[in-house]
Amino acid sequence: MKTEMLAMILAGGQGTRLGKLTKNIAKPAVPFGGRYRIIDFTLSNCINSGIKNVGVITQYQPLELNNHIGNGASWGLDGIDSGVTILQPYSSSDGEKWFEGTAHAIYQNIAYIDQTDPQYVLILSGDHIYKMNYEAMLEEHIANNASLTVAVIEVPLKEASRFGIMNTDENDRIIEFDEKPAEPKSNLASMGIYIFNWGRLRNVLLNNYSKDGQMLDFGKHVIPSYLDAGENVYAYRFEGYWKDVGTIESLWEANMEFISLDNELQMRDKSWRMFSKNTISPPHFITETASVSNSLVVDGCYVAGTVIDSILSTDVQVKVGSTIESSLIMPGATIGKNVKIKNAIIGENAIIGDNAVVYKENDIEVIGYSEVIGVQSDED
Amino acid sequence: MKTKKMCAILGNVSEFKGLLPLTEERPLDTLPFDCKYRLIDFPLSSIANANINSIFMIFNDKGSRSVFDHIGGGKEWNLDSLKNSYFVYFYQDFLKQKAQGLPYYSAIIDYLEKSEAEYTVLLGSSMLCAIDLRAVLKTHQKQNNKMTVVYKRMDREKLSANNHIIQVNKGGNTTSVQAFDQVLDKDKQLNLSMDIFIVQTEWLIEQLIIGQANNSPTSLIEFLGEKMLDTQTTAYEYTGYLSNIDDVPSYYQANMDMLDAQKFNSLMYTKQKVYTKRKNEVPTYYSEHSSVKNSQCATGCIIEGSLDSSLISRRSIVKKGAKVKQTIVMSNAQIEENAIVEYAILDKNVKVRAGVKISGTAQNPVVIEKNQVVEQDVIGGNE
Repeated sequence: MKTEMLAMILAGGQGTRLGKLTKNIAKPAVPFGGRYRIIDFTLSNCINSGIKNVGVITQYQPLELNNHIGNGASWGLDGIDSGVTILQPYSSSDGEKWFEGTAHAIYQNIAYIDQTDPQYVLILSGDHIYKMNYEAMLEEHIANNASLTVAVIEVPLKEASRFGIMNTDENDRIIEFDEKPAEPKSNLASMGIYIFNWGRLRNVLLNNYSKDGQMLDFGKHVIPSYLDAGENVYAYRFEGYWKDVGTIESLWEANMEFISLDNELQMRDKSWRMFSKNTISPPHFITETASVSNSLVVDGCYVAGTVIDSILSTDVQVKVGSTIESSLIMPGATIGKNVKIKNAIIGENAIIGDNAVVYKENDIEVIGYSEVIGVQSDED
Repeated sequence: MKTKKMCAILGNVSEFKGLLPLTEERPLDTLPFDCKYRLIDFPLSSIANANINSIFMIFNDKGSRSVFDHIGGGKEWNLDSLKNSYFVYFYQDFLKQKAQGLPYYSAIIDYLEKSEAEYTVLLGSSMLCAIDLRAVLKTHQKQNNKMTVVYKRMDREKLSANNHIIQVNKGGNTTSVQAFDQVLDKDKQLNLSMDIFIVQTEWLIEQLIIGQANNSPTSLIEFLGEKMLDTQTTAYEYTGYLSNIDDVPSYYQANMDMLDAQKFNSLMYTKQKVYTKRKNEVPTYYSEHSSVKNSQCATGCIIEGSLDSSLISRRSIVKKGAKVKQTIVMSNAQIEENAIVEYAILDKNVKVRAGVKISGTAQNPVVIEKNQVVEQDVIGGNE
């Protein structure tokens, strides 16, 4: 059956700037907001936008990510005419198919895309926190008779040199593209979200790779070549919360912003829900000795200490006498007695022993997955 | 017949009048429990944990919508995989067939024959526990009787008139079965039959054929209770958490038990996992004004007021200045500013208006029915 639009999520990046947090797992699988992983936002956007077929391209440390996505049932992507497919590099008679860039990863998966035979391909990255209706973007793409539409967001001009910047005409047609310009001419930053007419992109990639094969990246190579060829390339303006959580600071900041009830993401809005793989845990337990203020708590937690401006993820234990402030505690972590934690990210299943202090002045302290700090007491 | 394989028959068909109005629109099985569960999750999870892949369920036709709502495709309990299956029947159909003089066990017999299971487990939802059915099966196989019954030693005050009390000899078999109100012996603790049985399937089929020709009880649990009188039965002692739920106070107390860490752990944190319907709720938010002591909450809540010794279900909201104490709040409730709710059970979607007071007692909690908007004080508990 012909698919109108197939989504391809690029989830293979190493995410080195997240340090310890991406040592053993891919960035899109990093826990977020108490009961989510980063990729949940993109996957939920897909299902909410009516996209039924999703390919997830993985490469770096994919175990946790593959386990999380499974057959896609958590996002309703396991129906009779829908599905999520995990695409990993493989060997063939032509050699090994490791992905050397975003466009190269799509080129390596042409066989999969051809199988679903889409009219349009939506390219997404699996490491942004946002809510977006891709269907609305497709409508504009069609209305503009575009060959490529790039989603853009306005960023402060002084930060623009960190992004791929689009210079457009009055109809939002893209005239020029500058990758990380020293002197940006506009503040329209590429979000790394593209809609391509598949037939055209397929030809461009095949042609290129049959010759010199230099089209590794969308930003660096494909978009400039589309502009050079005079293709119809349009910008689609996105307004709303959008956060690239590629660094420790931005990950921590996005989590802290996530706590507040009036967060721009509007997590409690039922019309655009965020789905995740559910774990099996009883309701959380707040004891006699606890105090919880401006914080998020989820299933399986046991709280006997003080929690301020923080997020406790699934199955976190906070023992008596401990204080957690402005921190994200990832799933399964155990915080012993009389511990002080401030401005920190505590990794999944980490154990913080009694009386430990986790705090660094003017910095965000990170404790890795399953890391053990200090000595754990034997009782309870 | 495949050796060692078990199938299960699940169903409480009594009406439990003492639970009204909570069971006005739902059977006991789908009563909410501990913020995010329904009572039926416990027997279904025990069945799933024992790798039993075929279930025959019997419900009252009244309130069956909530059962289907909850179980859906049965995915959460692994009932939707290729080799697993479940069947739903209505108790009233058996009663009708009996009244018409038809062989009223025929659907069950048919099921048992097709199940190809050597053993059949029978259990209900009113005895709240986390039973390891594989351990019961081991004892059943060792004792080599046709039937095994599970019991627990319970304090007298936790028993009710229609409970069955058994006596057990040194050989591990039952010697007598009596209704609690017939028991003369004055012991502080008695052996409560938990109405959980494991039987030889072939033997059960034979007994059902004889039974339906002799006007025996339509309820299978009652039927097997009677069978204990003339069949050598193995007694398996259960030592974990048990709550015998049959009226509002026992239901209230079972929930409150979950605030006792030992009881909570003994039901929820054993090697037996408890599965329930999945919801994608957002994390629960506690504002800087909240004050929470000794309470449990599910996800999706917003807590701005104070909670003391209470259980709050999914998507409930407790506004600033509201005080909730010793109360069970079911899902989607809204307790507005400065309201006071103590010793109460708020059913689903209840709204308590600002400043209103609801107050019951531990022995007699006030029940606010589903979808009610409470605009005036409700002071109860004097019965």
